[in-house]
Amino acid sequence: MASRLIVFGILALIAFLMTAPSAMTLFTSLKPPEELILPAWTPPASITFEHFERVWTDGGFRRYFLNTILISAVDAIVMIGLASMTAYAMVFMSFRGKLALQVLFVVGLMIPVTAIILPLYTTIRSVGLINTHLGVIFADLALAMPVFVFMFSSYFVSIPRALHEAARIDGATEFQIYRRVVMPVSVPAIITTGLLEFMWSWNDLLLRLLLLPREGMRTLSVGLLNFQGQQTRDIAGISAGTVIMAIPVVLLFLFFQRHFVRGMTAGAVK
Amino acid sequence: MDDTLMDRLRASVSRYGPLSLFLIPTLAIYLFFAIYPTLSVIGYSMTKWNGISPEKTWVGFANYTKMFSDRIFWEAFQNTFVWSAVIVVINVGLGLVIAALLSRVWRGRLILQTLIVLPVVISPMAVATIWRWMLQPKGVINETLTSIGLDGLARPWLGDPDVVLFALAFAHSWSTIGLSVIIFLAGLQSVDEDLYDAAKIDGATTFQAFRYVTIPALRPVTAVVFILTLTAAFKAFDLIWATTKGGPIRFSEILSTYMYKRGALENQYGYGSAIGVALLVIVSLATLLYLKLQARPEDR
Repeated sequence: MASRLIVFGILALIAFLMTAPSAMTLFTSLKPPEELILPAWTPPASITFEHFERVWTDGGFRRYFLNTILISAVDAIVMIGLASMTAYAMVFMSFRGKLALQVLFVVGLMIPVTAIILPLYTTIRSVGLINTHLGVIFADLALAMPVFVFMFSSYFVSIPRALHEAARIDGATEFQIYRRVVMPVSVPAIITTGLLEFMWSWNDLLLRLLLLPREGMRTLSVGLLNFQGQQTRDIAGISAGTVIMAIPVVLLFLFFQRHFVRGMTAGAVK
Repeated sequence: MDDTLMDRLRASVSRYGPLSLFLIPTLAIYLFFAIYPTLSVIGYSMTKWNGISPEKTWVGFANYTKMFSDRIFWEAFQNTFVWSAVIVVINVGLGLVIAALLSRVWRGRLILQTLIVLPVVISPMAVATIWRWMLQPKGVINETLTSIGLDGLARPWLGDPDVVLFALAFAHSWSTIGLSVIIFLAGLQSVDEDLYDAAKIDGATTFQAFRYVTIPALRPVTAVVFILTLTAAFKAFDLIWATTKGGPIRFSEILSTYMYKRGALENQYGYGSAIGVALLVIVSLATLLYLKLQARPEDR
């Protein structure tokens, strides 16, 4: 009994320390100016949203937020469509070169984005997509594709073959089977893919730094980097920007924790 | 004749039509935006090019010989290993301990687990602002140390050459250890309960059971966490770039930041790409090892 209490106590301490950095940032973002001189760990005595309003309108975070949500949402939706269709072909259709295709995707799993950003930049420039959201979207899709193709494949493999055969005997086309039979029973894989791709896209800095240099195109990551560099003394503003960047994915995590946990364990290679 | 040609065309459309519908969009994007740049980085690394001019000079392995005799490259290389080693030790060691403790708690477990794992979803950019603020000379870390009488330990964490890399590695671990905990927890659930019962009958203490039952049983999972943590650390860029940009001087320069400076900022695409290839080779080998480890259970 005592040992159980000790274990709980240690874990509570660890959880407290793990939460403290985020909590203090949230506190700072909500403190009125006169409270900012108090130690960071003191919760705000009265709450103000002035720092949020300031970075949202004057700091340009409104635009950054909209840009980020647009890219991340398109990434997530298109990724669900493309990865599932590719996995469908690889699991349910027979064709020559399937093994080669699998190898090609395994190779993709091993490519670190960091290592190829220079040619990625020139490739996207060569098709005129620098400073366009489309360029970033293509890059995101291409680089994370293998992870989700394998995620859908491993899910599809567990779908009973009989289901697919029955639909084919009824005269359904491949697309109809994909749309009406396979996808409706693959909701967990769809949710996991959407959440993970949305989060990766939301959180990335490197690609966006390189591909979206123009102010109006910036995402939250690039906007926050710039804001932090220019307004070094505005701790409350930087904290508010940080909270704006973190809140959406934190909320998604709290609502869909089970899916996140499963996806992150499976897609951990990226 | 026309008929048979039409028939053959029709046959091949109905044969390959659906297949191309399913595969072509993905393949087009994947080949052009992932595979082609990967091949290009190898090509670029054998040229001298500023990234803009039409003039690209073939130089063979000159960039690699330059790289191997570049003192800064080796500093960055060494820093990458130190940074990765610190992260691996924390994420594997502490990650296993936290997971083992969590698996012994029933009431309140979900909330503890949620709080510990939560930083995993926070963007490295946001992690950077949080920790840059906490680690600054008058930041909350030094304030805390001073208030508990440990003034001697207080220092400008990100400005001190001796500790900057460790401080940043610690911040990286803060934001990634949750992933290790999740994977270890999944592994712990599959450890055979009978082994613990047998150990208990033999009179083993809790610690002995952990040492002689849990750790050996988790060896494959530990290998997975080890490699995942290692590759993630090798690939990292965002956190360091958003805090120190490799500084002070080059004390937190790792391969990715050095490549970015040489390639993207100084327009040395050839040399930057050679560093990129070094990164590619290291990460690919580690990932290949990971895929082999993962494939093993299915082989049995």
